[in-house]
Amino acid sequence: MEIYLGIDVGSVTTKLAALDSEDRLIGHVYLPTLGKPIEMVLTGLKEISKELPADAHVCGAGTTGSARYLAGVIVGADLVKNEITCHAVATMHSIPEARTIIEIGGQDSKIIIIEDGVVTDFGMNTVCAAGTGSFLDHQALRLGIDIKEFARLALESRTPVRIAGRCTVFGESDMIHKQQMGHRIEDILYGLCQALVRNYLNNVALGKKTELPIVFQGGVAFNQAIVKAFNDELKTEVIVPPHHEIMGAIGAALLAHEEMTDGNRDSQFTGFDAGGASYVTSSFECKACPNLCEIAQLALDGKVLARWGGRCDLWERVHPEGSP
Amino acid sequence: MGNLYVALGAMLQRLDMDYVIPPPTSQRTLALGVRHSPEGLCIPFKLTLGNLIEAAELGADTWLMPAGYGICRLGYYAKTQEQILQDIGYGHVNVVGIGVSQDKLSGLLRTVKSLSNNASWLKIISAFRFGLSKMSAMDRLERLTQKVRAVELAKGTASALLVQGVKEIDHADDYRTLKKVEKDYAEQLGQVPVDEQIKPLVVGVIGEFYVVLEPFSSFDIESELGKLGVEVRRSTFISGWTKLSYLFNPFAAKEKDRIHRAAMPYLKRDVGGDGWESVGEKVLHAGSYDGIVHLAPFTCMPEIIARNIMPRTKEDIPVLTVLCDEQMAKTGLVTRLEAFVDLLARRRRRDYNR
Repeated sequence: MEIYLGIDVGSVTTKLAALDSEDRLIGHVYLPTLGKPIEMVLTGLKEISKELPADAHVCGAGTTGSARYLAGVIVGADLVKNEITCHAVATMHSIPEARTIIEIGGQDSKIIIIEDGVVTDFGMNTVCAAGTGSFLDHQALRLGIDIKEFARLALESRTPVRIAGRCTVFGESDMIHKQQMGHRIEDILYGLCQALVRNYLNNVALGKKTELPIVFQGGVAFNQAIVKAFNDELKTEVIVPPHHEIMGAIGAALLAHEEMTDGNRDSQFTGFDAGGASYVTSSFECKACPNLCEIAQLALDGKVLARWGGRCDLWERVHPEGSP
Repeated sequence: MGNLYVALGAMLQRLDMDYVIPPPTSQRTLALGVRHSPEGLCIPFKLTLGNLIEAAELGADTWLMPAGYGICRLGYYAKTQEQILQDIGYGHVNVVGIGVSQDKLSGLLRTVKSLSNNASWLKIISAFRFGLSKMSAMDRLERLTQKVRAVELAKGTASALLVQGVKEIDHADDYRTLKKVEKDYAEQLGQVPVDEQIKPLVVGVIGEFYVVLEPFSSFDIESELGKLGVEVRRSTFISGWTKLSYLFNPFAAKEKDRIHRAAMPYLKRDVGGDGWESVGEKVLHAGSYDGIVHLAPFTCMPEIIARNIMPRTKEDIPVLTVLCDEQMAKTGLVTRLEAFVDLLARRRRRDYNR
């Protein structure tokens, strides 16, 4: 059976999706990255293979997410694609009429504008993570609330408190202040949701033409309170697609499929059972110029597979075995 | 800033002045600049301060700093940096602000005259001319490189040739050698094996002149775009930027005027720095380029004004604004560039199928 595999290694979670030759989703995995992208990719491969039929044959594999190059080397990806394109492709596939995509992940948030089936504009949060999932995670942790309980409690709010959401540091001190003044926890939680939504619309979505319908996806879309906050603020019903949390992986799989249909070649995919291989990552400082870049490298059984991280191509261009 | 040092070095040498060229802008330059700068200032200030400190370490006691250009903060930079250098212990240093706007031309020439032990006017003018010739030679090679990069078969070939070419231009002592080097490298660039089938996407790089011209401040965005198969165009070149060069190159002045006129319906006046030009270039190139990358230093007021006007013009073209800052990470930039180039490619395919 023909399979197209998409792997999305984000900062907080690792997602895998498997599509058949008709681009139907036949298996998916959602794991916490926990700062160990390589292990999680290997675990994910093992887990997804259990969901697939015995005669599954991977005809194309794509990677995306902030660790897309690393993951690409490990699995032998046929295509390595940025997460913005992957998200857009997946959404246009499942909800063709979508005009605006709101995507909020662990460390980044994006807005994608679509016109006539083509991405015409996008925005991404810059240096600050205030409008992202980690903002909520962190504040929930402070309040000692499980993130899964978060939405249920927040939705019970009657009179939400206004919390400064521009910056996590100010947001946090403002939240503590409101707590000490005796506001109810539900109201503080929903206030946080509103702060995140406000922050997103004022930063990431600033100056973008948001046409309807709006699709809301990414891990944060699990949180019903955020969905409600968006609906209230935008005065519309945002669409949360099924499998919204793995859209990036689905997009990577779709693009891998497209890539392999275009050309006549075999997939480079290395197989589901790379668990026995010992990947080692390490880093060193390049001394070729005063920039002193930190170069990261990935090795398998003592052989260097790839290097990243320089300001220039010096180490990327060189033959992995030797020095430049 | 970029290759400006080559041209300035040539001028100062012809004036028999004793000068040092600080080491190329690097992570160390940035670290030094950031350590001694107020947090909210822009990356051009921090990097040039780092350059000044590195020059001071080599014994420099007088610096030439562009100043009084437009109405952005840059006008104060020479004075502020002089103060900082004195505060951190470089004694009686002198940062000379050289006015580069046209009306200050006489002032600039007088400053140079006094610094050069009263060299004759003829000598000064001839030194300027030689420096400007080096600038335009380098600019020509850069323009060729931008074209070749997008379609070359072995990525990195053109960039390597450019680096070598600039080095030889730097060493050229007279007009004859300079002409020969320019011709040589232009030919070599023309012979780089390219993929003739590809019709590359064309992206204009616009914005504040320092970050546009100093590759370090933007993670060498032009090479990154080249790697993605994009042909970069820009109208800001060192030779076009110094208004002084208008004397020798009337075309540059005309081009500036054309850009200002294009901006008129949306912005009627200079807002400092290059904000007016950014709006004008967006409008002007909307029909001819596939997309525009707008470079702006973080906290740069003129470019913030431009950024907010750009989406509202009726001339439509995708614009990606990149804020250059010491906090910027290469990974984030590359992700955005890749997505932007995907957007442009798919858009072109759609328009083609229509």
